[in-house]
Amino acid sequence: MPIRVITTKVEFEGQVYEQRVVMEGDEPAVWGADADLRVVGKSTPRVDGRERVSGAAQYSYDVNLPGMLTAVGLRSPHPHARVVSIDVSRAEATPGVRAILTRFNTEGFKNPNNGMDIFGEEVLFQGQEVAVVLADTRQQALEALPLINVTYEPLPFVVDAEAALKDGAPRVKPGTQDNSVSDEWPQTYTRGDVERGLAEADVVVETTFTTEANLHNSLETHGGAAQWDGHTLTLWSSTQDIYGARKQVAAALNLQQNQVHVIKRYMGGGFGSKLGAHNAGLIAAWAAHRLGRPVKYMLSREEENLAAGYRTPTAQTYKLGAKRDGTLTAIDLKTVGNNGALPGWFPSVAIPAKEMYLCPNVRTVDYAARTNIGSMSAFRAPGVAEGMAGLDVAMDTLARALNMDPLELRRKNNTTRYQIVDKPYATKTLLEAYDRAAERIGWATRDDEARRYPRGRNGSLRRGVGMASQVWGGEGGPPAQAIAKLLPDGSAVIMTGTQDLGTGTRTVLAQIAAEELGLPLTSVRVELGETEFGVFSPPSGGSMTLSSVGPAVRMAAVEARRETLEIISHLTEAPVDALELRDGAVFNRETGKEMGTLGSYLGQLDGHEITARGMRGPNPDDVVVRTFGAQFAEVEVDIGTGQVRVLRIIAAHDCGRIVNPLTYSSQIEGGVIQGLGMAMTEQRFIDERLGVSVNPNLGDYKVPTIRDIPEIELVMFDRANEYANTIGSLGAGEPPIIPTAGAIANAVAHAIGRPVTGIPLTPDRVLGFLSDK
Amino acid sequence: MRPFEHSSVSSAAEAVTALSGAKTTAVIAGGAELLSLMKANLAAPTHVIDLKPARDLRGIAFADDGSVRIGALTTLAEIERDGALAERAPILREAVRDAATPQLRNMATVGGNLMQRTRCWYFRGPYTCWQKGGDQCYARGGQNKYHAIFDDSPCVSVHPSDLAPALLALDAAVHIVGPHGERSIALDELLKPPTPERRRETTLAADEVITAVTIPAQGVSGGGAYIKMMDRQAWAYALVSAAAQVTVRDGKVERARVVLGAVSNTPRRLHHVEQALVGQQLTAELVAQAAQQAADGATPLEHNAYKVQMARELTRRAILQAAGVEW
Amino acid sequence: MSNQQQPTSATPAAAERKAIRLTINGEQRAIDVETRSTLLDVLREQLGLTGAKLGCDMGQCGACTVLIDGETMYSCLLLAIEQEGRAITTIEGLGANGELDPIQRAMVEHDALQCGFCTPGQALSIKAMLDRNPHPTDDEIDRALAGNLCRCGAYIKLRAAARSLAGR
Repeated sequence: MPIRVITTKVEFEGQVYEQRVVMEGDEPAVWGADADLRVVGKSTPRVDGRERVSGAAQYSYDVNLPGMLTAVGLRSPHPHARVVSIDVSRAEATPGVRAILTRFNTEGFKNPNNGMDIFGEEVLFQGQEVAVVLADTRQQALEALPLINVTYEPLPFVVDAEAALKDGAPRVKPGTQDNSVSDEWPQTYTRGDVERGLAEADVVVETTFTTEANLHNSLETHGGAAQWDGHTLTLWSSTQDIYGARKQVAAALNLQQNQVHVIKRYMGGGFGSKLGAHNAGLIAAWAAHRLGRPVKYMLSREEENLAAGYRTPTAQTYKLGAKRDGTLTAIDLKTVGNNGALPGWFPSVAIPAKEMYLCPNVRTVDYAARTNIGSMSAFRAPGVAEGMAGLDVAMDTLARALNMDPLELRRKNNTTRYQIVDKPYATKTLLEAYDRAAERIGWATRDDEARRYPRGRNGSLRRGVGMASQVWGGEGGPPAQAIAKLLPDGSAVIMTGTQDLGTGTRTVLAQIAAEELGLPLTSVRVELGETEFGVFSPPSGGSMTLSSVGPAVRMAAVEARRETLEIISHLTEAPVDALELRDGAVFNRETGKEMGTLGSYLGQLDGHEITARGMRGPNPDDVVVRTFGAQFAEVEVDIGTGQVRVLRIIAAHDCGRIVNPLTYSSQIEGGVIQGLGMAMTEQRFIDERLGVSVNPNLGDYKVPTIRDIPEIELVMFDRANEYANTIGSLGAGEPPIIPTAGAIANAVAHAIGRPVTGIPLTPDRVLGFLSDK
Repeated sequence: MRPFEHSSVSSAAEAVTALSGAKTTAVIAGGAELLSLMKANLAAPTHVIDLKPARDLRGIAFADDGSVRIGALTTLAEIERDGALAERAPILREAVRDAATPQLRNMATVGGNLMQRTRCWYFRGPYTCWQKGGDQCYARGGQNKYHAIFDDSPCVSVHPSDLAPALLALDAAVHIVGPHGERSIALDELLKPPTPERRRETTLAADEVITAVTIPAQGVSGGGAYIKMMDRQAWAYALVSAAAQVTVRDGKVERARVVLGAVSNTPRRLHHVEQALVGQQLTAELVAQAAQQAADGATPLEHNAYKVQMARELTRRAILQAAGVEW
Repeated sequence: MSNQQQPTSATPAAAERKAIRLTINGEQRAIDVETRSTLLDVLREQLGLTGAKLGCDMGQCGACTVLIDGETMYSCLLLAIEQEGRAITTIEGLGANGELDPIQRAMVEHDALQCGFCTPGQALSIKAMLDRNPHPTDDEIDRALAGNLCRCGAYIKLRAAARSLAGR
């Protein structure tokens, strides 16, 4: 096949980049809305459900190798300090301890992503690595930990974002002009003229909204198990990005990438925080390489919650202007986020303000402060989940000021064009999502007396209904590669280098391949999560796994089918066009007759395997592909105690074609549930005097239990998005978390008749809203 | 966790003997609390004595005089499931069913539940706070959303038990065996605000063991209610809880016990609220007025003023519910 | 149930060890353990039974749930040496002859799992509930599973699986 290198333009947050896409052959035609599909689109239990439910699935945490050492970390109790000296003598004498890594014996060991020493002379936040104990058992390593004597020289610190941005604040990184996360911050965006827009408005509202730091708390912590055999370093990594991990490990250990083999068979959640090997994986790899013994380093829950990242807390201030009829004339936003100590990418909180609603005059100023508290990392719709909540709460405030139905206000300001770079959206079904979800929740009766006061006006219960909107990409893109192999018995192996985080990737890829190869699902095996045997796939993040890897798998399967039919044509002298693969057999299309199993032909080739390649082609650059949706929530507030119960959530998201309705609905429910945690219970508490988090555990950091979860109902779209890619699917990972907090906050405001100015909506906070004058 | 020697005893008396020998000995029952403390380096006994084989410390017994005896090794799950106990003292089932989780209720014993240390995040964290012998209470000027609104000691932590407020409302007594024999004390003699000399909320001596709690017949008279507020619907310690046991005769309050949990170092019995009720005609207004006094004397901290309103409201609801009146 | 002393800073002695016999999934296992070893560590590190997961090591997540004499408990807060003579059931003990247990089958069919890390614990909590109460209400299902966190949010599907097992 001739190679083509296609240059396309990719736009992200208004910035346009050139991307080079290597293509070999052509992608198949899009599965249109009317495509006749037999496997794709059917609810299908996971192909690896048995492993997951029987305890047989092997997670990084479960890797146990002969002679393996277990690592446990000692971390800074200080938010900012110089590590003056470390006395490990007593710890080293503890039974079973084999090595203790500190800054004094790991010279040159850096995290290649930010170029910083893993064990630095200066620790920039509570929980940063100071030493790692390697012992025969975890228990022995834990026992040695408190025996390490570290002398710290405490340094000035700042943990609050707004305080960090003030003049005279202690610098997180010495020598910088201020504590902005980089020269690119604050980020200012303007469209039209906000001052004029505000002047033209009939009504102007100002709102503030705060969100708290959320901790991912994947049940499997960050880390990995590593083994060095003298030539190859194998890392069983809990990662969303095996190729990123390979690159990092090779750079950190000064190895070639072909000497590093990263394996991620099963992983216990990531949610955006595991894009790479992370320090724990690098430490395991480094120690295994130096000591010549297998090493496992999985973070403790406390280490995880101090050092493995968080969703930024935000303080958002909106000024919205509108005409009497609800037409938006201005959106003015200032938002402040907290990046924590380590430099890197930071999400914009302003994207919803720029994109969600039609408005000619927009100004957003997005601050991101470096502080001495942990280190932010991507968390499912980073920036957007926070920003959408703030924006949609402001929209409800505007609706009240206009005395207008909040849903009508959204409808009024719907946009069919992408306003950041003026282009049409490929498809937009948001108004339909509003209508169908509103119908389902009974929007029309939301103000009915009996519904609002379930125990009468003198009772303490108030009910409210609220909604919020959602926009997200999820269209995926290149590069992503796949190989389809047909074996002599007619079974298939699909080789990719993607990851299944628990989203069901393995299952939907098998469905796509089975569809094109005419095989039963049981005859298709999908390989993923191994750099050595796979082919490149992108990180599993940004809701782009299915929409990137799915088309590559489909193309590989189509090519494999084409080769197979040509071979069978040679063997049978039937014309290729007359042949068809279905249910693992070969059929004559004209007569409808079965001509034998696929294996009966492929078995004649002396072991030849059909091997075909597929790759994800470029995205269209004339339209903007997005997922849209909305959620509606009904809540009950006890005004005597401030307790909120979420009663119902309706989730309506258009994510294109649904390959597997069963696992799709699990994705949507999971996103809603994490959004509900953000709205209702989850909060990292900081002691600003000490510069530390006081709840780095799952007892005091409260993720929702099953008892916190209401009925969640899905409004299904399941329509191929023919602009997106050849399978017509968009990602469903992030869309469902985006509107949940806003919908719940607006429902609570409706119930109590008071503004809601922050989340989570714990009883203390709600009692505060109720007592606000 | 540091290594330790481990042995079993088959009676409380044997445990007392074992405790008097070594200095750093701990008794283990359900283990959830002791192992949590040991893993956090908050306890490091060199000897651990397993009390579980002492079978006679387990179980619920009803005496002819109407009193109830609950062995110290009885689990919270056994209290939750015991139908006869729930009939006699429904407040106990209400108190334990929202405590912790099914797993922990299967493990946790009555004795261990009463002897829990505070869940204050500074105490449980790596801070040498006042309770741990330090010179300051970090919560007092720090993060104190979950802490005390009554200032009973230099420490502002609260006792985490759900069972204790309910038992206090039932006039429960605690039976203890030690080197000098057996003794019985009221529950509020076991649970007391810490002092500079005794920096914990329990008065049990290091060589004593709890054998049982008993509830007198009068304790279970009337109706009871336990209401707990959490900031997650399960698996959370109380923000505030209220326990009430109320006897109403001919429309008048004859006897009342009202207790708040999670507002002070130890469960707080509201004598003045009880006095405002007893002898009075039971009306919603009376209860509301009495409950309004529930937080009198409170001095909330920076992050827990919400507990004042919550304490009043839960007091009102618990009294009404205990009296069989829908609030 | 007794006041513990404050920790001392003496260098620890060699760990105490003990030979014990555990009954795990109906099988007797003779094993030499440290007195301080939790049941979870022994299952995972010494017996190769990695279905019970270490998620927090503090009894705050539920991933280590096992059955002890039929009741759910957190194996990270149990000393292994105290489990002699008790019937220990781990996820590896569900199902027989390579077939999944009906609970596990229902969980796969209803997609009551995502990443799978909490799944073994959830399955055992469902088992303990059904063994005691074959026809639980929705509230009873939620109460029975309240001690098993699922961060992916499979709760809706867990309910569906449990309802189907309850004959609804």
